Amino acid sequence: MRKILWWQQMVYQLLLLAVGLFALLPVWGMLRIALDGAIKGAPTEFRLWPEEFTLAVFQHVWENPSQTLSIPGLLKNSMIVAGGAAIFSVVFGASMAYAFARFRFPGRKTGLFALLVGAMLPPVALMTPLYVLLSALGLRTSLLGLMIVYAAFSMVFCIWSMRASFQAVPLELEEASYLDGATHWVTFLKVSLPLALPSIAVAALLAFLLGYTEFAIGWLFVESSDNVTMAMAVSGMMRQSGAEWGNLSALALLMSIPVVIIFMILYRYLMRGMLAGRLED
Amino acid sequence: MMRRIFLWLAILCVVGLAWGLRLRALEQLPIDYDEDDYLGAAIHYAQALRERDLAEIINYDYNYEHPPLTKLAYGLAILPLTPASPIIERPSSAPIVSSLPEPHFQTARKLSIILGTLQVLVLALIDPLAGLLLAINTWQIKYTSQIMLEPLPSLTSILAVILYIKSGRRWNVWLFLSALALGITVAAKFPYGIVGVAIAVHWLMEEYPAQERLKGLKLIRWLAPVAGFAILAAITFFATNPRLWTDPLSRLGAAITFHGDYATSDYVRGAGLPPWQPFVWLFQSVPWHPGVFLVSMDVLITLMAILGYKQMWERQRVFALWLVIALGFLLVWPTKWPQYILILTVPLSLASAYGFRASIWQPLVNWIKRDKHHTRARIAGSPLKIGWQELRKALPWLIPGLVVLGFITVYPMVFQGAMALTDFGSSAIRDGLSGGVWRETWKGFSGQVEPVTAAFFQRSMSKEVHYAGTTLLRQLIGGAAADYLVFGILWTFLAIASQTALGVSVALLLDRAGVLFKGWWRAIYILPWAIPEFVGGLMWAQIFDPRFGWFNQAGKTWYETADYPGAANFITQWQSNPTYALLVLLITATWCGFPFMMLAASAGLKLIPVDLHDAAEIDGAGGWKKFRFVIWPLLVPLLLPAVIIRAIFSFNQFYLFLVLEPPFPLATFSVTSFFFFDQLGQYGASAAINIFTILVLIALILWFNQWSKAAEGYTYA
Repeated sequence: MRKILWWQQMVYQLLLLAVGLFALLPVWGMLRIALDGAIKGAPTEFRLWPEEFTLAVFQHVWENPSQTLSIPGLLKNSMIVAGGAAIFSVVFGASMAYAFARFRFPGRKTGLFALLVGAMLPPVALMTPLYVLLSALGLRTSLLGLMIVYAAFSMVFCIWSMRASFQAVPLELEEASYLDGATHWVTFLKVSLPLALPSIAVAALLAFLLGYTEFAIGWLFVESSDNVTMAMAVSGMMRQSGAEWGNLSALALLMSIPVVIIFMILYRYLMRGMLAGRLED
Repeated sequence: MMRRIFLWLAILCVVGLAWGLRLRALEQLPIDYDEDDYLGAAIHYAQALRERDLAEIINYDYNYEHPPLTKLAYGLAILPLTPASPIIERPSSAPIVSSLPEPHFQTARKLSIILGTLQVLVLALIDPLAGLLLAINTWQIKYTSQIMLEPLPSLTSILAVILYIKSGRRWNVWLFLSALALGITVAAKFPYGIVGVAIAVHWLMEEYPAQERLKGLKLIRWLAPVAGFAILAAITFFATNPRLWTDPLSRLGAAITFHGDYATSDYVRGAGLPPWQPFVWLFQSVPWHPGVFLVSMDVLITLMAILGYKQMWERQRVFALWLVIALGFLLVWPTKWPQYILILTVPLSLASAYGFRASIWQPLVNWIKRDKHHTRARIAGSPLKIGWQELRKALPWLIPGLVVLGFITVYPMVFQGAMALTDFGSSAIRDGLSGGVWRETWKGFSGQVEPVTAAFFQRSMSKEVHYAGTTLLRQLIGGAAADYLVFGILWTFLAIASQTALGVSVALLLDRAGVLFKGWWRAIYILPWAIPEFVGGLMWAQIFDPRFGWFNQAGKTWYETADYPGAANFITQWQSNPTYALLVLLITATWCGFPFMMLAASAGLKLIPVDLHDAAEIDGAGGWKKFRFVIWPLLVPLLLPAVIIRAIFSFNQFYLFLVLEPPFPLATFSVTSFFFFDQLGQYGASAAINIFTILVLIALILWFNQWSKAAEGYTYA
């Protein structure tokens, strides 16, 4: 390979800088508003840097996210709903995913196609009937109800991606286990599951993120202010007329921080399956 | 011999069908805009013809923006009738009149349907199936059954193309007739002249001298015949346009200026139609006259045309050029009236015929053949038995998932299917919660009740759920959601294109050896991917806020002092202007989506062997050439799964739209369904949209699968 010349290096760096600015511009725009103590209501003049640099806005929002619940309470609800949905999806879907990965039963291809279609459905496609059915059961407004809804959104996707992780486990290892006299069940627990665990964890995390960042359907279902989640609090403040831009920005950033951390740690994992044809989004 | 007879029988049937449908439309269609203008002009011309007053024909200037030929033809048609009293001349934006003189009105319309049916005949002679599709196109029926300018140029434009093909580009009688037809076409209505452009482009493409540089005489020899053809057509145009017999240039100029001014007038702008509106017309049947058109397959015709376009490009290049040039014109031209799409219904029908044969007829034949094969194989061996054993082994593993999925997805889906068959709305919520949906669908299926009609944007006020049959779903398939369907497709395409372009470019930059700070840049670029979609949308909403946004505050002094209204309009009006809003949405979606494409492309680039780069460089391919012919072909299959994932994701995009709140019709199906549920309380309509979304998604996935092996790898990997 040729070395690149200094002026080429300059051109490349400038191009990369332009894209970098595009990527960072909105993030900084929001951060700047959240860090500026001088903004009352909406920002009135153009500024690249906060006029009065302070963390007070974050502190204020942490104590008062304009819901009846405090931030820990909101996060707890988010954890129950999104975490519950993720665990539910993985636990009840794992064995089905394994069956699709390892057995050649009649109807498998049709089933796979149905799973693929299901994995690609938008959440709204299930929202309409679930609203009516959960209302009829009296579960709609509870945290359990919302957890079921989010599980319904993510479960098919989880099965689809767990199937691929089980398929990636070398068949020889399972066969060796059978030769030692182990049953299917023992092989699954002792060999396949541990090997597929990292990818399963990724699937679960993606399911978690889906529930953690969801707000529109949450507001449709939830009625009690005790059951509001973090994302719902952000969108609730967004809908408020005359809300403080600083508070909204700070709350949205607070909500995003855990997600950003998870993604930064996981992105290599998320991309690993890509070329084998397995993708998450 | 038998084949020939069948062919002629088929053509006869198509023409008969076309005539019947148009006759029905003639009788049932109400008087429309502009019909009074054209009939009025025809009555005036008839009077002038009767009095042999040539000067009046030349100088009559009402409705001067359109050349007089078609109106003269209508005048000739009503000439034998007793003279009618003149119609009051009104501006073209005036409301519809309530009555027009009879029998002149009927007679003029009859001329329309004769011309319209002849057009179907001509197309059916090349391809009976295309003729059939043209015969049942509701837009075609409507505008060739009323007193419009469309029937005559529609007919002569297809004649011009067919005669041109028949001539083989030699100077024979066919070519002269083709130029004649082209001249008449333009003299009948200007936009139809687009076929002339298609013919010229095709001619120049076919005669382009290979492997020689065009210089001097060669260039002239290449261009001259086309120019000669154009001159011939122009002479015909002037000969058949009596208004231009005196003072031609200024009168032609006036007519053309009128169209330019009209296109940018407040009247046209006030209609608020987005630039892609022609697609919206093509993706629906005529919505205004229920019951007049017996078949409404327009959506299917357009879809099949997309699938058949490539084949038409190979077999009937002129028609393919016609379609694409006309489409380009319609997208660019600011006036978006529905009748304009008639300039491309002919090539559309032909492309659609190719699509039907390749995508429906052929697979059907293959499937029937394969199915026979299969049953034979099944009888011969016993793979079925082994299959059942496998199933018994798999069943215990499947059961937990099946039970749970049954409760939380399958049953809700079935219930949603039932909801889509009712008029269930928020006023009937009590009944709906206590089993009203199942009760009504059962009654409907067992024939105990007649379906009521349900409609979008029309909420049922009843306290009970009613069975509505498939009315909602049929409206959707017939094009009730055309605005959203077209936007959804356009959005998916544009979002994917911009994300992929930026993502791949960045990946290529980062792939160059020796570039510094790669890790840092990559970490920065991943950030938008990590931020939740709705927070990203919120960030951009803050930047683009018409009053307090960064963009406005930074640019305000500039565009106010430099008097640059374009920028000011963009930033202050994007929330109500579809084009600007689309741009803002695209910027945001690109920001959200490019990191994923960058990572996918980076991973793909790592797999392309270094030897290939070196080999390409030794062969002298540098920069663009190396990318285009070495890297890109290898990268595409690796990138395709990611593209498909993002395409489906864009098709379903939801939170971005909720946060940025763009104007109608910028909404995906998810957003529309949510809107019907949440804002309008039309639960049945929301369910019907969801069912329709699922059908479209299934079609998309099947299409992706057929389209590329890589997609199949994704599906069944």
